[in-house]
Amino acid sequence: MNYQFNFEWIGTYWPVFLAGIWMTTKLIAVGGVVGIAVGTFCAWARSLGPKWLGIIVAVYVELIRNTPFLIQLFFIFFGLPALGLRLTEVQAAMLAMVINLGAYSAEIIRAGIEATPKGQFEAGASLAMSPIQTFRHIVLVPALQKIWPALASQVVIVMLGSAVVSQIAVEDLTFAANFTQSRTFRAFEAYFVSTAIYLGLAILLRFILIQIGHSIFATKRRASR
Amino acid sequence: MITKRNFLKAGALAAAFSLSATAVFADALADITAAGKIRVAVPQDFPPFGSVGADMKPQGYDIDMANLIGEKLGVEVELVPVTSANRIPYLQTNKVDIVISSMGKNAERDAVIDFSDAYAPFYNGVFAPADVAISGAEDLSGKVVGVTRGSIEDLELTEVAPEDATLKRYEDNNGTISAFLSGQVEAIATGNVVAAAIIERNPPKRPEMKFLVKNSPCYIGFNEGEPELMAKLNEIIAAAKADGELNAISQQWLGLDLPAEL
Amino acid sequence: MSQIGFWDILTNLIFATGWTVLLSIISFIGGGILGLILLFARIGKRKWLQHVVKVYTEVFQGTPLLMQLFLAFFGLGLMGINVSPFLAASVALILWTAAFLVEIWRGCVTAIPKGQWEASASLGMTYVEQMRHIILPQALKLSVPPTVGFSVQVVKGTALTSIIGFVEVTKAGTVLANATFQPFTVYGLVALIYFALCYPLSLSARKLERKLNAAH
Repeated sequence: MNYQFNFEWIGTYWPVFLAGIWMTTKLIAVGGVVGIAVGTFCAWARSLGPKWLGIIVAVYVELIRNTPFLIQLFFIFFGLPALGLRLTEVQAAMLAMVINLGAYSAEIIRAGIEATPKGQFEAGASLAMSPIQTFRHIVLVPALQKIWPALASQVVIVMLGSAVVSQIAVEDLTFAANFTQSRTFRAFEAYFVSTAIYLGLAILLRFILIQIGHSIFATKRRASR
Repeated sequence: MITKRNFLKAGALAAAFSLSATAVFADALADITAAGKIRVAVPQDFPPFGSVGADMKPQGYDIDMANLIGEKLGVEVELVPVTSANRIPYLQTNKVDIVISSMGKNAERDAVIDFSDAYAPFYNGVFAPADVAISGAEDLSGKVVGVTRGSIEDLELTEVAPEDATLKRYEDNNGTISAFLSGQVEAIATGNVVAAAIIERNPPKRPEMKFLVKNSPCYIGFNEGEPELMAKLNEIIAAAKADGELNAISQQWLGLDLPAEL
Repeated sequence: MSQIGFWDILTNLIFATGWTVLLSIISFIGGGILGLILLFARIGKRKWLQHVVKVYTEVFQGTPLLMQLFLAFFGLGLMGINVSPFLAASVALILWTAAFLVEIWRGCVTAIPKGQWEASASLGMTYVEQMRHIILPQALKLSVPPTVGFSVQVVKGTALTSIIGFVEVTKAGTVLANATFQPFTVYGLVALIYFALCYPLSLSARKLERKLNAAH
């Protein structure tokens, strides 16, 4: 095949890519923060919460972890309007990412909590801390510190997984590649450029998360001294 | 060790060049005849041109057209399902020999592939339920319109729609139609016959034609530099128009006679 | 146009599930073989080979599987290799699976305590003998639960091949959702099918892990 690679289109289409990067960033910012919050709540519910809540959370976690993100996305966007719940494509994408990360981070954080020695709870009680205070200071922070690298990896996985939200017309980085190739017919080049950008984003996101971990846990350690 | 590696590299290069050589000097029509098989890109999400029945088999105008071409060439037909967005890359990367996928002609496409004569009528329009007031492109202001990415409607509407209209571009027609039926977009831009096929299946929302975007008949697409293939395809299309075969296909799938201008 | 009922939807989906299962098995076995080769390069003595594998895993774990599928699909075509969606999907999924398995398995090898290396070296074993008799048998035991666990990701990963036009259960779902106007039912069923495939794998991964932990 006498195919000539051609990247001239970047001159015209770079704003589409820039807008796509911005959308992907927004999605993972919301999905990451809210997803971890949901995951923390679910981890608490499963390890320390009331039994009935633990069961509901377990069903949620298993359902999400054992079905593809793409199907979750289609179900939320195309299926839920049948029940009268209509979300815009960006809301649907964010919701799907929160639900997905929530389920995965719940299991990761729970593993951290269950690795916390029982004595710590008793120590917290003997210091006259309320159960919530005990959970926050004695259980959650050391648990998060222990599993932070795993959590960071999961956030990166969810960011990369968000590439499929272009399927419901969200204008993210993958959309930029699809849009460009449907105008320029430079499919390989367009996907090559967006793949390289995704790699950069993944490395950057991991770096930022590890820095966040360092700063949170460093100050906590100092404060507790 | 080093020489061995270089040798392998040279071998790989040689293999790549020989492949490119065959591709450059190939005559697509001769290849098709030699293989006894023509690979045709057809839609599967675009009734009545191409969709699937209860048995998941493709059916429609484009599928009948593909079979007609195969029959006249005396070769077997291999149907390859494609979407609007990926059909031209399929052709460019030699995954198919020709594209019969209700494809309209425009300058961008003409720059990268060649077209036969027209084989089917097609009118693009904006469709919405009866209670949505739209009568021209300017009425799309503030509205959310679904289109299939890379389709003629997408390219045309991107030009004519007002600044504050929102175009939602879906990967394929499944996405566009689902978005309309589930109420995610207020209107869609698509073909008149596609909208008619949706209505025929008694949907929860009925898409009615609001205005015409473009009269854009369908052409068969193939790679550039294939004069023999082009001549043969045009000959088959002309013969099918003359002896009424094409009209029969049009009657079956569109319920209309072929328009005289085709 | 013929009407499509609930049973038509279900039988078509189940038929398409066969392709999902086949693609999962090919990806998992192919990825396992490639992963094993890469593992030996990764834990072997040659520095440059270690680096090559490290970059490989970084790239495949650091980019979306969807992009890898697109590049395999359109890229192989440009190289003059004529690929069907099925072949492109298999190639991309094998490469992707191998990148994850090699890291999982490397973790298992490095989890073997240093003392074992030293003890076997003092017995006069060569590197290959150490690997074969001491390290790999133990690492193999450790690696079973996370490997089974990862197979769930492979099954779910095959859903993305629908986007490059391979007709497996997700693609059948999008086609049927459009043909029936019942996306809620269709996507609900597709989700249940994936759950039926994946949940037993998740469950056995967890059981195996518990058994392993109890044994230690």
